[in-house]
Amino acid sequence: MTRRIQQVVVVGADAPAWMAAAALLRSVSGAGIRVRVVELPTLLQPVDAYSALPELAGFHHRIGLDEDLLFSLCKAVPVAGRRFSNWSGAAPPFIHGYDRAPPPAAGLGFTQLWIKGRQNGLRTDFENFSLASVAAKAGRVPAAPKDAELHAAFGYNLDARAYSALLRHGTMRGGVDSKAGTIADVEIEGDRIVSVILDDGERVEADLFVDASGPRAALIGRMPGADVESWREWLPCDRMLVASAKALKPLPAFSQISAFRHGWIGLFPLQDRTAVVAVYDGRETSDQALLEDLPALAEMPIGGDAIVSDLSQGVRRRAWVGNCVAIGESAFSLEPLDGAQLHIVHYCISQLMTLFPVEAGAFPEAPLYDRIIRRLAFNLRDFQLAHYKLNRRFDMPFWDGCRDAPVPETLQRKLDVFTARGRVPLNDDETFQEQDWESLFIGHGLMPQSYDPRVDAIPEQEHIAQVQARLNDIVGLVEAMPPVDAFIAGADDQRGTEMTALG
Amino acid sequence: MSEPLDIVILGGGTAGWMAATALASLIPPTRCRVRLVESEEIGIVGVGEATFPEIRNFNHAIGIDEAEMMRATKAAFKLGIQFVDWGFKGSNYIHPFGVHGPVGMDHIFHHRWLRARNLGLKSELQDYSFAAQAARDCRFELPETRSTALDCAYTYAYHFDAGLYAVYLRGLAERRGVVRTEGKVQDVVRDPETGNIRSLLLESGETISGDLFIDCSGFRSLLLGKALGVGWEDWSKWLPCDRAFAVPSEPDELSPYTRSTAMEAGWRWRIPLQHRTGNGYVFSTGFIDEDEAAASLMRSLETRALAEPRMLKFQAGRRLVNWEKNCVAVGLAGGFLEPLESTSIYLIQVAIMQLVPLLPGKIVDPRLRDEFNRLIDLQYERIRDFLILHYKLNTREDAEIWRYAAAMDVPESLTRKIELFRHSAIIERYRDGLFPPTSWLSVFIGQGLIPESYSPLADTMPGESLISHLDAFHADLLDRVEEMRRHNRFIDLYCGAERSTAPTATEMRL
Repeated sequence: MTRRIQQVVVVGADAPAWMAAAALLRSVSGAGIRVRVVELPTLLQPVDAYSALPELAGFHHRIGLDEDLLFSLCKAVPVAGRRFSNWSGAAPPFIHGYDRAPPPAAGLGFTQLWIKGRQNGLRTDFENFSLASVAAKAGRVPAAPKDAELHAAFGYNLDARAYSALLRHGTMRGGVDSKAGTIADVEIEGDRIVSVILDDGERVEADLFVDASGPRAALIGRMPGADVESWREWLPCDRMLVASAKALKPLPAFSQISAFRHGWIGLFPLQDRTAVVAVYDGRETSDQALLEDLPALAEMPIGGDAIVSDLSQGVRRRAWVGNCVAIGESAFSLEPLDGAQLHIVHYCISQLMTLFPVEAGAFPEAPLYDRIIRRLAFNLRDFQLAHYKLNRRFDMPFWDGCRDAPVPETLQRKLDVFTARGRVPLNDDETFQEQDWESLFIGHGLMPQSYDPRVDAIPEQEHIAQVQARLNDIVGLVEAMPPVDAFIAGADDQRGTEMTALG
Repeated sequence: MSEPLDIVILGGGTAGWMAATALASLIPPTRCRVRLVESEEIGIVGVGEATFPEIRNFNHAIGIDEAEMMRATKAAFKLGIQFVDWGFKGSNYIHPFGVHGPVGMDHIFHHRWLRARNLGLKSELQDYSFAAQAARDCRFELPETRSTALDCAYTYAYHFDAGLYAVYLRGLAERRGVVRTEGKVQDVVRDPETGNIRSLLLESGETISGDLFIDCSGFRSLLLGKALGVGWEDWSKWLPCDRAFAVPSEPDELSPYTRSTAMEAGWRWRIPLQHRTGNGYVFSTGFIDEDEAAASLMRSLETRALAEPRMLKFQAGRRLVNWEKNCVAVGLAGGFLEPLESTSIYLIQVAIMQLVPLLPGKIVDPRLRDEFNRLIDLQYERIRDFLILHYKLNTREDAEIWRYAAAMDVPESLTRKIELFRHSAIIERYRDGLFPPTSWLSVFIGQGLIPESYSPLADTMPGESLISHLDAFHADLLDRVEEMRRHNRFIDLYCGAERSTAPTATEMRL
């Protein structure tokens, strides 16, 4: 057999770097592969928060992280979804709830029954049939048993620095070697990194380098053929502001995303504060003007800690070149509209594990990784872009432009098939599933023109009973869910009990 | 509510009656009226006596009682396909309908097995497949009857008489309101403006008009191909077989698998049913002439022939689109792939089950049509690649067709899969398409492609415990297989064609 990988070096900082290191530690260190981290300076500020999708739970499980620690140490707030306001003129807000695939009704997708019901005068809005959305509105955390037929999950708003520190601590304790520094130079031969030279002169060599440096793309950015394809033509926002405001009382079970004239404002509840994010088009408004408008837009006083940065969105043509694999924002980046930032990181890591190179000398796994990551990127871009495309804020140049511009063929197909028949054609490597796209499309006012003809085979009384049963099920399940504050306190209590038991 | 959609199905073979039954069963008469035109003078191909497990979803959806259908079609169970002499002369493996190794471990199991092999373990991959072991031992039980993980590791399909299946479906369809018209099409009348098909003019002078036409006319593709002129994409450079002889013979051992034996110019199938054994030789006239092929088939029969061999002509490929204007092809009218992996009926099924939810109104919505065509193309291309794989990965040098196949260029989508597996034992997954990674794995390994390496993730367990784990799993699996009933015994009890009643619960209990 050819030579195995013996040394992997993760270069980066913050959660992405420690997530990669933790996963490597779990998966391959048992095979005798050494894992080392070159820790670059953090990109995080005290105001920063991560807002993550429920899938993060699976990652925590794989690396053996006790989730109670998120609530005791990382100011975490569980959220059942995101509420979108002011995207569609006078239409009321809607919630994209984190539902799992709902069970069929009378053998068919429930959405198809709803479409017919709607055409025949059903008044109940679509989101009332979403367990997560109803939970979110009721301030409840969908922590129901996973074996229930109707099932939702919660995502996480996390203090970014505390979460990174928690991962770092756990990973270091697991035996990962780390070294802090900055990169002086990267020695590349052909398409392979020979060494990363640090500012203190140390040459770091490895068989495989994982670039977890975020938008810096400290390694992949230097590799041949890995330049970025910009998405600017579709996604015009190019500035991002982060700040904080006081904590919300009581804590809501959702994050809030409000469109305004030049972009959107996000409010992400944490235990000790509210993280505030504004994403906007710098050609439409200045940073200063935005800062002045911010309290009015957010409807709350904003702390004096605001930080503004450039935002560029796009995907690398190749995310794995030679012995350098980019994960997370080093591979592609989007604005934080749908909370996929950490999802991208752990999806990339999980693909890297599945495709872990079998030898140090050749990397035929790379093209498959590239295809997968690009598909993931296109699917997420399309999901984000759909918010813009479907806006109904008329007579505002920024929003008119977003609505009128053509979208990529992959998104157009989803819009077309959904409009025609209420179905969502999913691709490989989709983060968001049918129920997510449905919630997004219908929430933004895209109403299917027809439904699956099989729905007409359901007798009317049965149809009404199915719809009513779904509403009742949801109400019953939500009533049994804990409110956010109780959930957080419960997580703390439970940890307390365990520690007592251990003591 | 508007008038129901008038659907006209042309052709009453397996495709036509499957389409008719599904439409009549799933969509209420307020939404569509179904007519089927067929001629008793035109024979049916009756493709696919062997099926794929997905057929169970179809039967379930349209409300078919399994035991009743099996009695009516003299069916038997099928746990996989055995390939004899494919990778090399003397090779023999089963592509099972189920995973290798424990349920939920299929992402890593074959890497562990490859490692154990390197460490000296002597075993075959299929030793760890419940379906393959049960098949070899001619045993069968329904997987649902027991709930342990091991017993859920497989699924099953049927061998049935496709002609009887069509007859059985026709009975259902007619009871559910499908109107059958006997007759041959003389002319297809089209709307001069839209180019849509308006009606079929029969030789009897009768005119059958409709809103949507489903072309189940078989290879002739009378509507989609001939009337609408939709072109053909030829795949015969990868799949050179262009003829088949089929012949039934007396019943034989009721083995719960299809057998495919590689021959000097193609391959031969053996499909055991309750009342006969189906046999056939799929071959290429580029490598053997017809008479020789027929003689070769007859010589190879294990039981006495019940008829003269019947020949079919075909070409691998598919129509450029399967839905054009107001006409949708189902079955051979839309494309053909040789029955090496029993996909003919699956392709019929998938066309129907994609059409139903996307059924258009009186005016075709191009968005629905395009989505249908996209999904069907994906299905065809992925099955095509999987079939080519069997040819490409042979190391036989004893016949010209095998030398040709080993040397031929294959689609890039397949080349990259082969190369990645060869190097790293990695199998790319996809969402829309029939064959899961475990199917690819069984053919890769079965045809003799042992990867050069395996994932380092399989290196974490100490070698000795790995081997003892595998041994224990295999032993456990054999024990379970031994507890299963013989397949022929199970058939007698469950759906013996002689029986007129359903089995009692007591009879079915072990």
